[in-house]
Amino acid sequence: MKQVNIPSGANLAQLYRDLQPDYPKFFKMDVVSKLGFLLTEMLVAGEAGRFQPRQDRAVLVFSRQGCLANDTHYAATMADFPSPALFVYTLPNIVSGEIAIRNKYAGETSAYVLESYNKDTMWELVRQAFQDRITQSAIVAWIDCPTDTQWTAEAFLVNRNDL
Amino acid sequence: MEQLINEIKLKVIEALNLEGMTPQDIEDTAPLFGDEGLGLDSIDVLELIVLLEKNYGIRLATPADGKAVFTSIATMASYVQAHRTK
Amino acid sequence: MKESLVITGAGVVSALGCGKAASLEALRSGRSGIGPIRYLETSQKEFPVGEAPLSNGELAALAGAPDNWPRTTLLSVVALQEALQEAGLIPQNCGAIPLIGGTTVGGMDLTEKVFPGYSPWHSCGASTDLAARFFGFAWATTLSTACSSAANALIYGAHLLRCGRYEQVVVGGSESLSNYHLNGFNSLMILDREPCRPFDATRAGLNLGEGAAYLVLETEASAIKRGARILARLSGYGNACDAFHQTASSENGEGAFLAMQQALSMAGLEPAQIDYVNAHGTGTPNNDASESTALRRIFPGGLPPVSSTKPFTGHTTSASGSIEAVFCLLALQHGFVPPQLNWRTPDPSCLQPCCEAREASLRHILTNAFGFGGNDSSFILSRP
Repeated sequence: MKQVNIPSGANLAQLYRDLQPDYPKFFKMDVVSKLGFLLTEMLVAGEAGRFQPRQDRAVLVFSRQGCLANDTHYAATMADFPSPALFVYTLPNIVSGEIAIRNKYAGETSAYVLESYNKDTMWELVRQAFQDRITQSAIVAWIDCPTDTQWTAEAFLVNRNDL
Repeated sequence: MEQLINEIKLKVIEALNLEGMTPQDIEDTAPLFGDEGLGLDSIDVLELIVLLEKNYGIRLATPADGKAVFTSIATMASYVQAHRTK
Repeated sequence: MKESLVITGAGVVSALGCGKAASLEALRSGRSGIGPIRYLETSQKEFPVGEAPLSNGELAALAGAPDNWPRTTLLSVVALQEALQEAGLIPQNCGAIPLIGGTTVGGMDLTEKVFPGYSPWHSCGASTDLAARFFGFAWATTLSTACSSAANALIYGAHLLRCGRYEQVVVGGSESLSNYHLNGFNSLMILDREPCRPFDATRAGLNLGEGAAYLVLETEASAIKRGARILARLSGYGNACDAFHQTASSENGEGAFLAMQQALSMAGLEPAQIDYVNAHGTGTPNNDASESTALRRIFPGGLPPVSSTKPFTGHTTSASGSIEAVFCLLALQHGFVPPQLNWRTPDPSCLQPCCEAREASLRHILTNAFGFGGNDSSFILSRP
């Protein structure tokens, strides 16, 4: 099972440039979506048939903080001019949406907010995502961002027969 | 007008997170939207509407009103010059 | 699907009032709950909303809960009481049953009053946990996928039953109005200053709403064993990603189409067997055109009666999947098609909804809930 992580505080703009995904919308994303985007790039870059629309790959993102770092930024703009670009990222599941948009994944996408990092809960939920007959693989990520510059970010590419 | 155009370019770069771009990189009359342009999208239109209100006191009622105004930096600057209240 | 999953209890609170009886009366008589903001403390009073017609104090009194709890939790407790009562799970405790809730606002209605301080019940999870502890549920979890949250809670609950982990689950969602998302939706310029008109050529956006609804979902075997009354069957469901844009839907409604297709396939039903569709139908130019396209693709032989009930309640966001499920349940039980209010002018890019409440014997109902992030869910409720 392929596993990747991005160390806390890493220079995400530099990592983007190193990976060369040619996706300028990256710079509009909040830190959670940027991390989700980059982790997925690291997992699937060079995959055969990449960017062919598919339904058989699920996206599951777990965290404790959700999108709280960005929520705080948005809340500050409410004082005079609420920012639509920030509001877009005030949902914990936008990160899974961004991964899906980039990679053309039309399968199941979800975001789970847990009380803490809990391997048992996470992998139980991943097993349940494979309950249907459609899902054959999944991007599974723990992306937890107390601030824009501190996080725990790791991801796995899980296949049905890994479980 | 030259100064206003440069000022608008800087504000647009900041507001829309156009990474690594400088005012020199944006042509005054280049289309902002669409594949030939800066590739801006519907959320960017909304941020530009906020930019007009925040910086120049101009209030556009709907995104549709923005279509003509946001054709290029030049059209934006003309509109700002004509309608600014601050 | 081979497992037989049934609904044995349902509870709801929304702009139509507390409880299923109030909802039924409103749906049949065409009485909308949308109106000016009464309870939310805000300067943005120009937007009509679907506010639950009770203050936090009144909700708390009804719920028997502290009035300093988040409104999201208070709405949940009121809806849960009705659902659990109907399923015969009160006064017995829920100690063996998990609660799956959907919300986005959580305790934010309290937090935004003290920002940059922090309400201890701010987080989505905490607002569900409060309700769970009140009823003694085994454990609780919260799904937060925007406007498909409650529908996804139902799907997740179904997974728990199908893999044999539990015989009974309680699923649903809750959302209260907040300045945070009222401002946010306004910044996206998708709020209408008039009551919403889904699928109408003059539609200009949505009205925000609030409320809560929960369903007791169990295996048929469990329901029969304990002599519970079966209200409806969950025949099938689907979830797919539109993979197009963070907040807009694709022109051909791909995510919606895939979700509905999955639901039909799981249920083993042909499109012609669907008697009514409760659309997501928010009233935004984008959703209604996209959803109409997806529906026309699903029903190439002609659409069944379709309506959006959002002109009754507003768009209740995270709770919409379960609130509208309860309306579908009422439609099945009482044999009527909920009407589409406020529709007058046909739009060629949109379907023409059913505008009059009419008696109809319904066997299978399809209902949609589509969330930001392109998270599209659909499920089918059937007469038992």
